Amino acid sequence: MSKIGIVAALAAAALTLAACGSSDSTDTSGGGGSNEAKTLTLWHYEGASSAMGVAWADAIKQFEASHPNVKVKFEEKSFEQIQKTASMVLGSDQAPDIMEYNKGNATAGLLSKQGLLTDLSEPATKRGWDKLLSPSLQTTARYDDRGIMGSGKWFGIPNYAEYVMVYYNKDAFEKQGIAVPTTFDEFTAALDKFAKAGITPISVGGAEYPAQQIMYQLALSKARRPWVDALQLYKGKVDFHGPELTYGATTFADWVKKGYIGKDSAGIKAEDMGTAFMSGKYPIMISGSWWYGRVSTEVKKFKWGTFLWPGNQMSAGSSGNLWVVPEKSKNKDLAYDFIDITMKKDIQNKLGNAGGVPVAADPTAITDEKNKELIENFNKLSAQDGLAFYPDWPAPGYYDVVVSGVQELINGSKAPDKVLDELAQPYNDNLADIGG
Amino acid sequence: MTSLSVRQAGSARQAAHAGGRIPGAGPGRWAVLAALVVLAVVMLFPFVIVTLNAVKTPAEYSSNGPLSLPHGIYLDGIIEFWNRVDFGRKLLNSLLISGAVAVLAVALSVLNAYAIGIGRVRGRLWILVLFLVANTLPQEALAYPLYYLSKEVGLYDSRLAVILIFTVVQGAFGTYLLSAVLGDFPKEIIEAAAMDGASRWRVLWRIVVPISSPTLSVLMIFFFIWTWNEFFLPLIFLISNDNQTVPVALGVLQGDKMMDATMSSASALLGIVPAVAFFLIFQRTLTRGVTVGAIK
Repeated sequence: MSKIGIVAALAAAALTLAACGSSDSTDTSGGGGSNEAKTLTLWHYEGASSAMGVAWADAIKQFEASHPNVKVKFEEKSFEQIQKTASMVLGSDQAPDIMEYNKGNATAGLLSKQGLLTDLSEPATKRGWDKLLSPSLQTTARYDDRGIMGSGKWFGIPNYAEYVMVYYNKDAFEKQGIAVPTTFDEFTAALDKFAKAGITPISVGGAEYPAQQIMYQLALSKARRPWVDALQLYKGKVDFHGPELTYGATTFADWVKKGYIGKDSAGIKAEDMGTAFMSGKYPIMISGSWWYGRVSTEVKKFKWGTFLWPGNQMSAGSSGNLWVVPEKSKNKDLAYDFIDITMKKDIQNKLGNAGGVPVAADPTAITDEKNKELIENFNKLSAQDGLAFYPDWPAPGYYDVVVSGVQELINGSKAPDKVLDELAQPYNDNLADIGG
Repeated sequence: MTSLSVRQAGSARQAAHAGGRIPGAGPGRWAVLAALVVLAVVMLFPFVIVTLNAVKTPAEYSSNGPLSLPHGIYLDGIIEFWNRVDFGRKLLNSLLISGAVAVLAVALSVLNAYAIGIGRVRGRLWILVLFLVANTLPQEALAYPLYYLSKEVGLYDSRLAVILIFTVVQGAFGTYLLSAVLGDFPKEIIEAAAMDGASRWRVLWRIVVPISSPTLSVLMIFFFIWTWNEFFLPLIFLISNDNQTVPVALGVLQGDKMMDATMSSASALLGIVPAVAFFLIFQRTLTRGVTVGAIK
């Protein structure tokens, strides 16, 4: 019975701890407000060594230096916790003063509709953030009364951006005698050469987001801005059997047939796609800038580089996640001050030098060659108004629909026009729901 | 999951022992042994993978894949994770919550089951059915009501809220189980005690609890481990990093689009170890408790 004794003793100790623990926590939360010294509670979910983590840590230091009586209480949260609990937390008194949150209709849009986020329109114009952000970056920062992005009030401020590009293995390209393609025809010729040499050129993760982004890139090669606005922002009708998506789906299926994309890639996860490219198994990976930092620290065996999808005016991409200020924030002005610091040139440059894509950096201040390439490509894309968002954004729950549609293309189990029918259905249902 | 596999491995070992005592058993013994070995390997395989990747550098993982052997032992992932989430604090939180729930839920179950199983209150069947239904409710359905309740009483984002919730959740199961066990409790003993002038409280404390203690300790250990592994409700109720438990802290590494495979493995290893250790310590109590009934 001594075992029970041990458990009981443990638990008794635990209970007394619990008692003082809980009173302890109420003390700190109650004491902060009444005192002279203020606390700014800040949450984000970027890793400490990621570009954003590094830049924002610096921003916190600067903020504390310029606000000597304010202490920043930073907590690193898990992405999942913020996703699952945001509406609960923001509806309670435990809401932070400022936090990072996901852009998009289903996330920031929904919270703004529920009245949980502060309208940032005034500080955005007063402090000039609206001038720092290009139109396609602003799209994800503004939401209308229905919670749909693209117009209306400002509810978030993006601090960084992301876009889809082509990562390539320089050594493998050299071995085949292939130069970096600048047109779409050269690109397909390069893919063909690899396929003829018995190498599957593109590392694809069909079980998650990567495969659909390739199909979307193909569709974008035939698309113009109004089509993207119609699809993503419901500004007009979208024909799922129009030239854009038809070309995207049929070419994608064609690429599988020709061996540019592995026939077994339908079950591959994004993580495995990345490690397969980084281990040198595939010469090409088509994915977003979120891989950039990791590829640059972990690829040691070969030389690599990136280029924009050849011949495209537009590419999948968008602003990064947003700074939002909860409606229940107790220090809104301090939160604005903090956002302001993160939008300043030196923090933006820091973000760029750490391997992120800043929204308002000075390209000449970026010292690292590789990071310069990343940012210059982004600036080129941004200047031609080329951020076309992502194929899974338009409707809630659309991600799974698109993933399974593209998997059918990879497996060859459904013809492209049948897949397009499948994609059209939930999109049109959603359109009817929001009264579009 | 993990605890279950350890338990099965444990009982497998016992079964192997028992088999050894049979004099002159035939080739069937070896077949059983082979099957058990295969089972053990299948069970242990995930542990091995996690351990392998926990001590690898991220570069090694990316270039050689998850199944390759590490070239050396790289502990930075584990150390960095420990510091990043303040793991010591999370351990303490988990210990506190699980320990408190284990004791309180067993106490609650015993009191309930005494009334239902031995006291035989009117309508006990329906009470049990009610408990069973409460037990089958998915936690997702409870999340919002519990959130509003805890916010009303000012317990949102406190460990006490989680302790109370799980005491009730585990207590419901415990009541159901113990009521069945105590329903078979030999009446002669209780009648004899009553004849000697023992009060109900005394009967419970001096007779029922000591005799059913093996079952109680098993329950307590299960409650501890189940609560330890809980993820969803702690995720919702423990908002401040200072209050979080081990499984919630492990989630920090899973990003939006990125995951850090080696550090995730390191954290998974750190997350499993306490539960496994606890299990190994109390393993004997467990097997004893399962085999010994209320009546000897």
